[in-house]
Amino acid sequence: MDFDFTKEEKELIAEVRAFIDKEATPELLAETRQLGLIYGGPEGRKFIKKFASHGWLTPNWPKEYGGLGTSEMVTYLIREEMAYSGLPCIFVGAHMAGPAILRIGSPEMKKEFLTPLAKGEIEFALGYTEPQAGSDLVAMKVRADDQGDHFLVNGQKTFNTHCHVADYHWLAARTDPEAPKHKGISMMIVDLKSPGITIRPLITMAGWRTNEVYYDNVKVPKKNLVGEINKGFYYMMSALDFERMAPPGVYRNLFDEIVHYAKSTQAGGKPLSQNPLIRQKLAQMAIELDVARLLYYQLAYILDKGSIPNYQSSMEKLFVTELSQHITETGMEVLGLYGLLKEGSEWTPLAGKVEHFHRWSVVETIYAGTSEIQRSIIAQRGLGLPRQ
Amino acid sequence: MNYDLSQEQQMLKDAAHRFLVKECPSTFVRQMAEEESGHNPELWKKMADLGWTGLIFPSEYEGSEASFLDLAVLLYEMGYVCLPGPFLATMEGGLTVLEAGNDFQKKDYLPKVASGEKLMTLAWTEQEGSYAIATRAEFQDTHYLLTGTKLFVPDAHLADTLICVARTKQDGAEEIGLFLVDGKALGVKIKVLPTLSGEKLCEVTFDQVHIPKENRLGRPGQVGAVLDKIFHMAAVAKCAEMCGGAQRVIELVMVQAKERVQFGHPIGSFQAVQHHCANILTFADTSRFMTFQAAWKISQGLDFEKEAAMCKAWVSESHRRLVALAHQVMGGMGFMEEHDLQLYFKRAKTAELAFGDADFHREQVAQKMGL
Repeated sequence: MDFDFTKEEKELIAEVRAFIDKEATPELLAETRQLGLIYGGPEGRKFIKKFASHGWLTPNWPKEYGGLGTSEMVTYLIREEMAYSGLPCIFVGAHMAGPAILRIGSPEMKKEFLTPLAKGEIEFALGYTEPQAGSDLVAMKVRADDQGDHFLVNGQKTFNTHCHVADYHWLAARTDPEAPKHKGISMMIVDLKSPGITIRPLITMAGWRTNEVYYDNVKVPKKNLVGEINKGFYYMMSALDFERMAPPGVYRNLFDEIVHYAKSTQAGGKPLSQNPLIRQKLAQMAIELDVARLLYYQLAYILDKGSIPNYQSSMEKLFVTELSQHITETGMEVLGLYGLLKEGSEWTPLAGKVEHFHRWSVVETIYAGTSEIQRSIIAQRGLGLPRQ
Repeated sequence: MNYDLSQEQQMLKDAAHRFLVKECPSTFVRQMAEEESGHNPELWKKMADLGWTGLIFPSEYEGSEASFLDLAVLLYEMGYVCLPGPFLATMEGGLTVLEAGNDFQKKDYLPKVASGEKLMTLAWTEQEGSYAIATRAEFQDTHYLLTGTKLFVPDAHLADTLICVARTKQDGAEEIGLFLVDGKALGVKIKVLPTLSGEKLCEVTFDQVHIPKENRLGRPGQVGAVLDKIFHMAAVAKCAEMCGGAQRVIELVMVQAKERVQFGHPIGSFQAVQHHCANILTFADTSRFMTFQAAWKISQGLDFEKEAAMCKAWVSESHRRLVALAHQVMGGMGFMEEHDLQLYFKRAKTAELAFGDADFHREQVAQKMGL
């Protein structure tokens, strides 16, 4: 056992941190916060291209596709650092679609997409959820009909968060309506500028935008089929194991600010941090953050051993997202009525972060599979309990 | 980062597992809970022969120089079977001598602890249930006179030597001292208290007990740091036992979840039950990480008090909740005396309260955070 990072890993992180300190402009941070930590906005694109030129966006990818050929641990460390710094840390291309293309894409597809992804020049959007197919993904109805040299896609997706800033849709569509439900789905890459696509905003209570996406006779070339036809459901499931790696850094940062506030704010003649109840709550959050850290880096450790985490991904996602709610609740308790104040008032503490993240944290236990779905996965895959 | 046991640790774990499953069935645990001694000298001898009592002591004291992490691996397996007896109490005593003792004391005590010949314990907690020391040791030229009552002293009735934490005066100033007390010394009265889990926690009364001055342990001014270290190590040791217990609880629950049929299905296929089981596994995995992280820090000689306090706070509560959820899955069977789950329920509370509960350790964490 070893619960420390190597000298090389520590040096690399120091380098990344120095770069971030220099390059993270207020404009970039504001845009990132407004977009909900996703990447694709103009400031984000500018930053990521510079960042990726060091190989830091996809360090674990092979060198031939723009990676550094390093460990997963390095990838996890960098992503945690980005999350802590308030930079874009949710990448569909680099962390979900890209790894899938690496494993199952055709040589042409690899050539076309991997290097631009690694350079941060393009971004993908996930296209899984539909009005009738949320947790029950196999219920999806969007159709892709075989027309010889292309598919003709029709139907509606929803909660496709990156679509308004991304270049390509990582689309799951039904290619065989006759087959058993999970055997008739395929994955394909769709240029979001294709004729027939309409993207409409859905604004979340956190203030950021997600989308509903309509496909009306959209032509998708056959070469954009990912892997084998009708195997999409299996690809999706394995890509979700990657998607569920949630860096706790965003909330570690929020927590540090709450602690600073508790130490520096007087109430009744002494700092809030002297209040025994507040001390208990803050200590509990410090403990949960450490637990989250160990769950997070465990995923990298498993990947570096050559395995794919399964129930452990769900456990990490479940834990970190529930932790996010504990931390924002704790922040609200520490700030009291001040916690209600939005950004913009001279009375607002921590630039309104607590109020903002409090609204935000609701989505955490829902996206990428609700907490209930994660618990079912943990029970079934981690303990071998039967499905009904 | 490396989350796996080393090959040697895995071998120790496997061997300990085989031995303990054979030697410490739940019938034995129940029997020991009922007997006042709670100790089987034959089993103790076998454990000593396996080198367990000397595991973490340096070779110059006849130990095998294993790390605290190795000890945690062994304690995990002891917790798996709810092993009764004075192992942890003796290790705490031995570690205190190792940390605070002078050369003579170490040579005198440690080889006998390592060989399993000598049992020890720490007499620490006071009547009010706290670690605010009230017991007094008055210096009388050649000896100390020790007076006071300690409670919740583990396995004191078996101990050849008790290490008593007492208030004394050094050059006119109040100080905390450690004193090696013969368990049979005149004026020492020991009573085993009836406890929830049948673990042997004792009342120990010291009535003008005569302690030769060479039995004082630790240099003046250093005792506080030694006790702090031993306390946090013991807290992590308790967590290792709880993690092993969690493993056994999961096995018990899985049998029930997969085999018990209600409404025409195994109950483990119901979402409500699955979600309890997912929470159980999450508590177990996270407890293990926190415990081994703290044990690793101790082994590496790094500062470990914050990690130990985080670990004890997290594991104490997680383990209690894990066992409570296990009872929900087990239903009526789980609270029958004949079922083993209730043994773990009782142990969970005992371990939670030993060496500081979650509230206590969260306050420790708060202090380490500079709050």
